[in-house]
Amino acid sequence: MNKPGHPSFLILAVTFALIAWAAFLTGSGIHYRVLGMACFYGALALSWNIFALTGAISLGHAAFFGLGAYGSALFCQYWHWSPYITIFLGGTVGCIYGFLWHLTFRKLRGAAFALATLASVEIPKVTIDNWDRLTSGSLGLVGIARLPPVNLGSITFDVDENLQAQCFFLLMFALVVIYIHFKAMSSKWGWAIRSVREDEIAASTIGVDVPGIRLRALCVSAYLTGLCGAVYAHLMGSIEPALVFSLHFSALPLVLSIFGGRYQALGPFLGALILYPADQLLFHSWFPAGHAAFYGLVMVITILFFPHGIGEWVQQKTKSA
Amino acid sequence: MLFQLLIDSFSLGSFYALIALGFSLIFGVTHTFNLAHGELILLSGYLAYVLGKYFSIPFLFTLPICMLALVFVAMLLHQLLRQVKEPFELNSLVVTFGLALVLQNAMLFFFSANYRLIHVPPVPPLELPNLHLFITQTQFILVGLSLLVTGSIYLLWRKTFLGKALRATIQDREAARLAGINVEHMSLMAFILGGMLIGLAGPLYAQREYLHPFGGMEATLIGVIITIFAGVGRIRGILLGGWILGGVESVTVFFLGANWRELVSALVLIMLIVVRPAGVLSKRAKSERWR
Repeated sequence: MNKPGHPSFLILAVTFALIAWAAFLTGSGIHYRVLGMACFYGALALSWNIFALTGAISLGHAAFFGLGAYGSALFCQYWHWSPYITIFLGGTVGCIYGFLWHLTFRKLRGAAFALATLASVEIPKVTIDNWDRLTSGSLGLVGIARLPPVNLGSITFDVDENLQAQCFFLLMFALVVIYIHFKAMSSKWGWAIRSVREDEIAASTIGVDVPGIRLRALCVSAYLTGLCGAVYAHLMGSIEPALVFSLHFSALPLVLSIFGGRYQALGPFLGALILYPADQLLFHSWFPAGHAAFYGLVMVITILFFPHGIGEWVQQKTKSA
Repeated sequence: MLFQLLIDSFSLGSFYALIALGFSLIFGVTHTFNLAHGELILLSGYLAYVLGKYFSIPFLFTLPICMLALVFVAMLLHQLLRQVKEPFELNSLVVTFGLALVLQNAMLFFFSANYRLIHVPPVPPLELPNLHLFITQTQFILVGLSLLVTGSIYLLWRKTFLGKALRATIQDREAARLAGINVEHMSLMAFILGGMLIGLAGPLYAQREYLHPFGGMEATLIGVIITIFAGVGRIRGILLGGWILGGVESVTVFFLGANWRELVSALVLIMLIVVRPAGVLSKRAKSERWR
């Protein structure tokens, strides 16, 4: 755990997974859709992991996700701004809530922190649920503006209608988050995060600003999660509190990151590329109701048998063989 | 009106204490943060529902069956959690969180998302003369059984050797081991007792509120709140915490409406964690366990 992750193997694995996907992409829309959403959940998992790198497990990122979704959708609805602007406002809303977390929970660690975050999802959820005049309450928002087409020179990317363009858009989004996540592991800031994770007291004696590092990681993580929520709102076109604040969006990044490897640059993304399609293409058709049990099962098995993630596990197996 | 509110809070609070007692026992003795607690209660509730509906077993007879079944489930959970590596507390939290997801979706698969309620044969509520107070049969069973079980656990806790050994394990695992207590057996005992309490709470829950596969997290939070309020292994504190929480929730529902209830319990939990993580009633300032 002390050494930086070895990205070479994971880069290979991720490239391989993407190429394997390319074989499926023969015109049929559903595969583009699933790959696009896999990239989306990969970005969500990476955003979650940026904060998890400081050693704190959050069970409440659905709060940022939902606030981002509602923030962006409401700005869009009331002021009719372009979704490409309001998405960033949605992220900002998530970031503000993250700052509030920092103010309230800064002394908590480990299980106490996880519990506090789990409970803190209820605050925005119940408030939005009951603020009928602004948010139309538990009925949710419908008819949210879709993402308008992007013109690049002579080529038009119709992000909403064309699934191929949408997949590409989400892949680009994921790449941006991958870059930030990479920075959170290997820049000077990344090394500071690592030192905070391993030993806070030792880190502060060598001059690492521990609360500042945690705050920055939390704000970046909350901002990106809010961004994911906002993109989700405009992709789906309708949201409701019970959906965007559901346990699903807190649990999924946790599962994907732990499965893929929390301390590796591409681990959470690899987890998403493997698990999301497996869930959607296999388990969803076998058990239409209750297919999400798959994620819970993966979570239990991963913690019990390879707590450092599939990447490191495969690496160790190949090294010892 | 005030008295009616008091009766409602009292019955709700006693039930909350029952929910929290199982959580607190397991958490105190084994340090397992069982986030699947609420889901296990729902599981037991669904079991009672099925027994009552398809096998037409009278409600009170479903209770021992559910308790037995959940003891078995809790022993399985104990076996599973023994495999978990360090850091135990955080890892057990994640594992039981995963388990909660599995249970939620399994219940969704088997029982569908429809709301279920155990219908007890309607008995007109007991009306106290001149006061316009109503006590329903459900409330009567709820309070009676909750207090009976909490009382018997209290006796077990204080008067038997097993209770003493369990308390010793809660206070200091290493010292208990040195004193010749088999800590592994105590963990198993805690899961067995916890399973019994969960098994009892399930049918009572199903008869009071609608069962829904995703409703378990609320019960878990109630268990956590009261455990943190009282500190681990303090039965009288748990009872007090249950009544206070029941009172706060009843007052919220009365003045603000049922929609805000979840918010209040979440706020109470956050406040407790931030202000006094070792338990409000506990005499020690801050337990190492939370660091």
